[in-house]
Amino acid sequence: MTDTSRQTLLRSLPSSFDTGPQWLRALRVRAADVLREQGLPTKKTETWRFTPVRSLVDGEFSLTEGAVPSIESSLPEGVTARSLRQVLQSEPELLKGRLDLGGAPTDFAALNTALFSDGLWIDVSAGAVVEAPIELVHAVPDSAQPGVVYPRVLVTVGDAAEVMLIETYAGKEAGQLTNSVVELDLARNAKMSHVRVHRNAGLQVGRVDVRQEQDSVYRSTVVTLGGALLRLDVRCLLQGTGAESELNGAYLVEGQEHVDHHTRVEHQAPRCRSQQTYRGIVSGKGTAVFDGIVIVHRDAQKTEAHQENRNLLLSDTATVHTKPHLQIDADDVICSHGATVGSLDEDQSFYLRARGIPEDLARAMLTYAFLESVVDRVSHEPTRARLSEAVLAQIPRADDIRDLT
Amino acid sequence: MLKIENLHVEVGGKPILKGIDLEIEAGQVHAIMGPNGSGKSTLAYVLAGREGYEVTEGRVLYKGKNLLEMAPELRAAEGLFLGFQYPVPIPGVSNIYFLKAALNAIRKHRGEPPLDAIDFMKLSKEKAALVQLPDELTKRSVNDGFSGGEKKRNEIFQMAMLEPSLAVLDETDSGLDIDALKVVAAGVNSLRSPERALLVITHYQRLLDYIVPDVVHVLMEGRIVRTGDKDLAKQLEKEGYNEVRDAPQP
Repeated sequence: MTDTSRQTLLRSLPSSFDTGPQWLRALRVRAADVLREQGLPTKKTETWRFTPVRSLVDGEFSLTEGAVPSIESSLPEGVTARSLRQVLQSEPELLKGRLDLGGAPTDFAALNTALFSDGLWIDVSAGAVVEAPIELVHAVPDSAQPGVVYPRVLVTVGDAAEVMLIETYAGKEAGQLTNSVVELDLARNAKMSHVRVHRNAGLQVGRVDVRQEQDSVYRSTVVTLGGALLRLDVRCLLQGTGAESELNGAYLVEGQEHVDHHTRVEHQAPRCRSQQTYRGIVSGKGTAVFDGIVIVHRDAQKTEAHQENRNLLLSDTATVHTKPHLQIDADDVICSHGATVGSLDEDQSFYLRARGIPEDLARAMLTYAFLESVVDRVSHEPTRARLSEAVLAQIPRADDIRDLT
Repeated sequence: MLKIENLHVEVGGKPILKGIDLEIEAGQVHAIMGPNGSGKSTLAYVLAGREGYEVTEGRVLYKGKNLLEMAPELRAAEGLFLGFQYPVPIPGVSNIYFLKAALNAIRKHRGEPPLDAIDFMKLSKEKAALVQLPDELTKRSVNDGFSGGEKKRNEIFQMAMLEPSLAVLDETDSGLDIDALKVVAAGVNSLRSPERALLVITHYQRLLDYIVPDVVHVLMEGRIVRTGDKDLAKQLEKEGYNEVRDAPQP
């Protein structure tokens, strides 16, 4: 990466912020200062070792307006959705302390914090049980110019409220960068199911920060179906006793695509549980990265944390870097982690073929089954079916498999 | 139906089968008995077309065609069925949808239209009853979390669905208690017909009390050392493999 391209995005940082409430200006100044001091990550940055930052920041990006996602569903009772810009103008105190849920932002999330101009705040009031999913679509606006958008979403879920959020990120050709930050704040006993789909997502760098209070439950399913270059960090802070996080991911990487999923689950309180299951299939010259860390703080006794990443490599030129790890400072915990990288099971393939199933269909059935096991964890049936179909559409002989199910 | 001539097979450069001759006609049941390591499973896998087995000499004719140059799926489509000794679990692929794919692939090969969902379910209910396979197991992932007995019943259920011309059953009795053995054997017997041939591979004579063979072969160290009728199996059980091999041919 040349110094000039590295500076391209940093140059768009203003030297002072003069709109919005004081606390927001301070937050933006802090984010900008971090960036000026540390710069954007380079390939020497540990958490970016396997992902070419250059591709994300190369080129002349200009700030594109209109990054507010569209809401594709009608809002049910107990749910409000408001423009961040408007709330920051009229009732900024409502958002104080809620736009830095993950702590002091760094790298691309800091860039978003410094520069986002608008966004969406979805609030689910205490006790509201919302059955129909709330659906957001993030599309890059039509523009011939290379651009960067900074989507920003905050969802606050009140005590004992239940909600499902579906986000779809659809990209553009290279040259359009989406740098998103999604913050989810779960109060006591809140339950949230979060489905995030990346579909040919172009250049994406995203951050999901989740803060969980006592006995809240967060279920995430990330489905990444292609993307020129995609980096997503999902971070959960388990701050209240008995909170539960389930992070699932399925990715399908082909051609020259590069897909990087980072997860970070911090057990800060006792008796919390977390389970991570990421599975991916990589073919062509594709590269997949998984880096997941579970951090168990000293007071987080009776923690139960499990982490698993499994990968299927379908070609000799595909690459997987996987690094699940644990950092445990408590002594009364149950933790496990594991990773596998392999090819399709020849015994399974032979079994199917010995029953008359052609080789290409046998391989497609096994490939689909591998990812379907992740999608199957989505309990909302219509959503599960839609995700299955989205995965299936990427798999050879989809029509034959569809006929069978 | 099946004609094996002077079949030599190596695995990883090591000779396993050293000249097998065997001819099975439609309507017949042949049994191959032999001690562990005699090459029984190798023979089954070579017939089904599994990779990793090198045929160095000889040939196999199935319905007059060269079996060894067919892909495994083509052999199945032509009516060959292997009942696995160790059926493979396939998480995420449901038993019933796997069988539908198999049956329709075979029907397509025969120039028949695919079965519609209703006819397929009807057929599958009928055949599952044959081996007392619970409905719930037909919907679960293939062999995933099945007990030993359930796996073997599932093999015979599949055989009943696919209606092969030649079924090779590799140690279908292993891991079965006597009640399960009777159920599986009854299922197999119900599929015996003048058009269908069976090759039953087993270590023990016990299975042959229930699936009574027309011809019994004794396989030792990669060769068929004796061939006889069903009484040969009883003699083996009583006297042991070495004695039978060394005894003068009647």
